[in-house]
Amino acid sequence: MSENENLLWLRGITKIFSRGTIDETMALDNIELGFNAEDYIAIIGSNGAGKTTLLNVIAGVYPPEKGGKIIINGQDISGLSEYKRARYVGRVYQDPHTGTAAKMTIEENLAMALLRGQPRGLRAASNKQRRELFRSALAPLGLGLENRLNALVGTLSGGQRQALALVMATISRPAILLLDEHVATLDPKTAQIVLELTEMVVKREKMTTMMVTHNMELALRYGNRLIMMHEGRIVVNMNQEQKVNLSVNDLIVAFEQASGEEFDDDSILLRQH
Amino acid sequence: MKHKRSSKTLVGICLVLLLALALPLMNACQRGMEYKIGITQIVTHPALDSAREGFIKVLAGEGFVEGENVEYILRNAEGDMSIAASIAEYFVAEKVDLILSIATPTSQAVVGAVEGTDIPVVFNSVTEPQAAGLVASWDKPGGNVTGVSDMAPVEPQVELIMAISPNTKKLGVIYNAGEVNSVVQIQMLNDIAGKFGLTVVEATAASTADILAAAQSLVGRVDTIWVPADNTAVSAFESIVKVGEENGLPVFAADVATVERGAIGCYGLNYTVVGEESGKIAVRILRGEKPADIPVQMVPLDELYFNRGAAQRMGVTIPQALLDKATKIIE
Amino acid sequence: MDAIGHVLSFSVYEGLVFGFVAIGVYVTFRVLGFPDLTVDGSFTLGAAITAVLIVNGVNPFLATLAAPGLGLCAGLATSLLNTKLRIPALLAGILMMVALYSINLRVMGGANVSLLREVTVFGQVSELLGLKTGIALSIIITGVLAVTVFLLLNWFLRTEIGLALRATGDNEQMVRGLGADTDMTTILGVSISNGLVALAGAVVAQGQGFADIGMGIGMIVMGLASVIIGEALFRPKGVARLLLAVIGGTFVYRLMITIALRLGMAPGDLKLITALLVIIALAIPYLQKKARREWLPPAAKW
Repeated sequence: MSENENLLWLRGITKIFSRGTIDETMALDNIELGFNAEDYIAIIGSNGAGKTTLLNVIAGVYPPEKGGKIIINGQDISGLSEYKRARYVGRVYQDPHTGTAAKMTIEENLAMALLRGQPRGLRAASNKQRRELFRSALAPLGLGLENRLNALVGTLSGGQRQALALVMATISRPAILLLDEHVATLDPKTAQIVLELTEMVVKREKMTTMMVTHNMELALRYGNRLIMMHEGRIVVNMNQEQKVNLSVNDLIVAFEQASGEEFDDDSILLRQH
Repeated sequence: MKHKRSSKTLVGICLVLLLALALPLMNACQRGMEYKIGITQIVTHPALDSAREGFIKVLAGEGFVEGENVEYILRNAEGDMSIAASIAEYFVAEKVDLILSIATPTSQAVVGAVEGTDIPVVFNSVTEPQAAGLVASWDKPGGNVTGVSDMAPVEPQVELIMAISPNTKKLGVIYNAGEVNSVVQIQMLNDIAGKFGLTVVEATAASTADILAAAQSLVGRVDTIWVPADNTAVSAFESIVKVGEENGLPVFAADVATVERGAIGCYGLNYTVVGEESGKIAVRILRGEKPADIPVQMVPLDELYFNRGAAQRMGVTIPQALLDKATKIIE
Repeated sequence: MDAIGHVLSFSVYEGLVFGFVAIGVYVTFRVLGFPDLTVDGSFTLGAAITAVLIVNGVNPFLATLAAPGLGLCAGLATSLLNTKLRIPALLAGILMMVALYSINLRVMGGANVSLLREVTVFGQVSELLGLKTGIALSIIITGVLAVTVFLLLNWFLRTEIGLALRATGDNEQMVRGLGADTDMTTILGVSISNGLVALAGAVVAQGQGFADIGMGIGMIVMGLASVIIGEALFRPKGVARLLLAVIGGTFVYRLMITIALRLGMAPGDLKLITALLVIIALAIPYLQKKARREWLPPAAKW
């Protein structure tokens, strides 16, 4: 696959924290990864594997080490700061509070999200047309949020906020959607609802998505590609055919074979329920 | 929503009740008093307090006695200028017969508030009333405002310093550059310093907490310290005395009240006298004279105070000739 | 009763004019979450520049316009210190406040500039409208100004930039993730706030007849108290109501001071009495809720 065919291409991405001190860690080790438009990639790995760091580097929270490149649609965005890169990247965080502004209304949050990556001026942030747009984006969620445009986001439940965050992340059609363990803090029932909503939004908007999760079952169920990371490296990289009939145990075996280590992360195993 | 409205109403009712309470309290005091005099002060401070006491004393002596035919309304802005303006408004609303305003910002606030009324204003402890806009000129104030300035000529004070510490070549001064009257005094000092062959070294402080550091900064750079009539420096005078005594630096001041607290000596600008003079002016106005015709007064420097103990601790001797002329000697 | 009328009308005037300070404090502390202490300095700066210009013959309306201009610069400096040099907000504000003390002394050429013999905006409007100077005229002038400021702010905080500004204080990370430059929104908010405060200083100086180096002292405390009282008493929702509540809070705070003055206690106890009255004003809504057994949120840190 050449650079130009891929939607997103990561080349030689390395990230080192606390360089030169006792705590120096290599969180990402020369990652090479490419995805196509409309790929839905699930990323799993134990704590410290580097999953969130990878998302942060893509989103521009911190830069990769010298030589690393991030290319989207043929454009090298490695040098752009976080807010300049926002045009290309939509993100839903683990904590529902992080992606939304609690003291503002649903309408105002969406108005802000709509302008992701665009210059903001003195026009009124919301008008009749925009409100219609928001309603049509919220209605398919089936949560009734489209009737509560003037409600303060702080009054919504965690699941509702994540659903809103999802719409906020996609309403401006960014090139990539990053989902950072976005159902990890929700109870199983709500998590299920949000995951189904995610699936629906991703399909409807034809988004290219990276989902980071702790949950192997989810990683197997959703997405057309699966990546497993360990100590900053990609140790398992499967496409649709390869993952379609796998079970969790198969995955563990695949991990042990690829990394040469015993799979000993109980947290992943325990989260299967 | 019902709850919101009822809480607002309840608060509103409480406020009105408070007001209603306040008024009878006021009324009780003023029953039957012939004269209502408002006194406003910018801050609590020994000099300003003496000025107020002097005023009240003189009025009492002339037959205007508190509780008999005079009700005083005493207010202190406690350093807050917006409150000084509120106090002035309050006096106007109370339709007082005369206002005594002590210090410059209070006087400015009062004069601003009485505009359009005919309430007479007597000020004291204002160094430059014309520059402050209180009067049209010293001789003919021309409005409803007149009073007593606390401007003290600097030259006699420098003469006193040279008489007691003749080897002084560098004179240190400590003051708050934010006080107009201090700046005026330092200006006057700089004008005559050359005549005495003196170099003036300035140390400023923006608040009482900075005075000690200002005093310390003069150690080793000056032979003698002089403190003008500066509210900030005088409030923190003990710090300056401490530095003077520890380093054998003689400390002189312009405010008589400081001699008791450790200054070696001073020509008295006695704030009680300032207050008394303003009291005399007030009496004239209450008896019918127009403020426009009463020129602004300056208080003569004719008292001499010494503190022999301080002189000894700071390593100087006061010539006997001066001691003989002294109004008061403190040990 | 005449006295009640006077007390209320004077408090309305003060509520309006000091209301600008409270709104400025509201924009920084509440909307932006930026604890800006520059206020004590920028208030005096506005007063200083206006007074000096008027004394030097400049038209009072123009002189008054100069005040928010300089206030904006002061706010700009504070926010640049914070966003570009990464000096913590609290410290940046304190540094500017300290610097402004010296700057204000220089602007005034001393510690005090008298306006008692000058023509101010109050004097000019009085001539224009043929009204006597007095509390009624002052309320009209400050009222017009307040309405203008209110309308402008109400509109601005609903624009695209305004929304980004409000969100910056709510969730800065999200705003950056949405592609807005939070440095710019912070600078904008802090500058506007100090412009408003300086405008208040200019009007207060003309109203009271002088500008003095000490007149800004305590403005930040007054502003904060007004904002908090406004929020507690009026429980506003939405931008427009919040702005009104802040002005209302200022009115109540100044009313408390006026009442305290009239209660006739020892002159040095004014501050204590004011504090007590403010505590009562804040406690009443809370105690009411408690009595009705309503749900009570935990104590806010500020």
